[in-house]
Amino acid sequence: MTRARSDEVYVVGCGMHPFGRDETVTGMAMAERAVREALADAGVGWEDIGYAAGGSDVSGKPDTLVGRLGLTGVPFVNVQNGCATGASTVLAVANALRAGEASLGLAVGFDKHERGAFTVSAARYGLGDWYAESGMMLTTQFFALKTRRYLHEHGVSERALAMVAARAFRNGAQHPMAWRRKPLTEQEILDSAEVSPPLTQYMFCSPGQGAAALVLALGDRAFDLCERPVRLASLALRTRRFGSFEVFSPWLPPGPHRSPSVDAAEAVFRRAGLRPADVRVAQLQDTDSGSELIHLAETGLCGHGEQEELLAAGDTDATGRIPVNTDGGCLAGGEPVGASGLRQFHEVVRQLQGRAPGVQVPGAPQVGFTHVYGAPGISACAVLTV
Amino acid sequence: MTTRLMAEGLFEGADPLRLVGARCSGCHTVVFPRQDSCPRCAVGAMSAHVLPVRGLVWSWTLQAFPPKPPYRPPSGGFQPYHVGYVDLGEVLVEARLEVPRRQMRIGLPVRLTTMPAYHDEDGTEVLTFAFRPDPEEDR
Repeated sequence: MTRARSDEVYVVGCGMHPFGRDETVTGMAMAERAVREALADAGVGWEDIGYAAGGSDVSGKPDTLVGRLGLTGVPFVNVQNGCATGASTVLAVANALRAGEASLGLAVGFDKHERGAFTVSAARYGLGDWYAESGMMLTTQFFALKTRRYLHEHGVSERALAMVAARAFRNGAQHPMAWRRKPLTEQEILDSAEVSPPLTQYMFCSPGQGAAALVLALGDRAFDLCERPVRLASLALRTRRFGSFEVFSPWLPPGPHRSPSVDAAEAVFRRAGLRPADVRVAQLQDTDSGSELIHLAETGLCGHGEQEELLAAGDTDATGRIPVNTDGGCLAGGEPVGASGLRQFHEVVRQLQGRAPGVQVPGAPQVGFTHVYGAPGISACAVLTV
Repeated sequence: MTTRLMAEGLFEGADPLRLVGARCSGCHTVVFPRQDSCPRCAVGAMSAHVLPVRGLVWSWTLQAFPPKPPYRPPSGGFQPYHVGYVDLGEVLVEARLEVPRRQMRIGLPVRLTTMPAYHDEDGTEVLTFAFRPDPEEDR
């Protein structure tokens, strides 16, 4: 689909609070810093923002940020959409800009989680107490069960899981805003504590904290503000259809199991008029090594079962054919649910502008891709171009 | 010692105990536990459907660390345990797996059993469902 330039939405500024764990700063304070950085990056003030959306899973009502940033009366939408929170804020702002609400908008996401696995409530997912009480309601189990089955069906070895994590920590080590900054060898990852086999401790990300923000502009306004605006070529959000294999499922149909990631990825490539093979820098949801491995194929970046070869050849490294999670992803950055999606945009935008905070993909990449996936079966993908 | 089942609605009969889900009259989708509407088609009526007791391990993992509440550990304290999906043909059911690690594999024939999950405050033993290796099927 080709749009007139006046209907195109561009990223013209981005900001980020370092991810990790810092007891001295609140979620809201991190969000404020990310917004101020994004505004400064775009060269605009808060009073110039005509439409805003913000998302957080556990760290407060995003629209209260106006008390810190300025009571300008700006429309501000709160979003709470699991792992797709960040992408949903971008979608809300981009659609508002295209609908003529404003020419300049802001999307922000932030979170600060407790240590350890996420606490869950059976009732919140429409399940009986027995499911949690009998010890089956853990996200870590789901990722392990899905990964185990995937490796079995597609003939991928457990070493491939270690390769994913090793690359994440390698990239994270070079990224000033990542949490885990120490490179680990594949053997160290394989030998780390067993959490839920085939996944070990260092193959899982941890709930953490962080914030990220984007300034979006419509049409010519983007080129007035920014030397190298990044076009939001397409963005799609999907929920699960019958037969997807999701977290907290006491039962599954016999299969085949089709993920919402497949639907979201197909939609964005179709709308952008591009193919997965055109992507030169990608962000994939890597809640754990197995998830990234599966998402590589579900989004079309490679075929099912091809991952191990791809990883072993270095194709997903920053210098490879399809660089993946160049900032270290969730594995190195941790998972502040409301912020992760916008961290992905932040990284891809900076890569496409040739000013990556960490390792820069060489050769001036022109097509970027982001993908998030989460409970209870949602996915959002975006294609970004320069 | 008194025992009770963890959640009555999941089971039918006592000896032998069976799991009961629901089946859609329209598209024949089988779900577990039972629910009143079909997740696949909008037209079918759901009725109680007793599930097969025998199946094959479809995927498995180990719960190596103690889960946070509302998980309730057994009276002897948390011990790592296996969980997985069991392919019953018409539906895959998630369950605790009472299978030793050395025996565990995708495709292992298993059959329905119960296991103590935890004890109530009055000492009543609370049973949940699980699957264990099926001696009649495994070779």
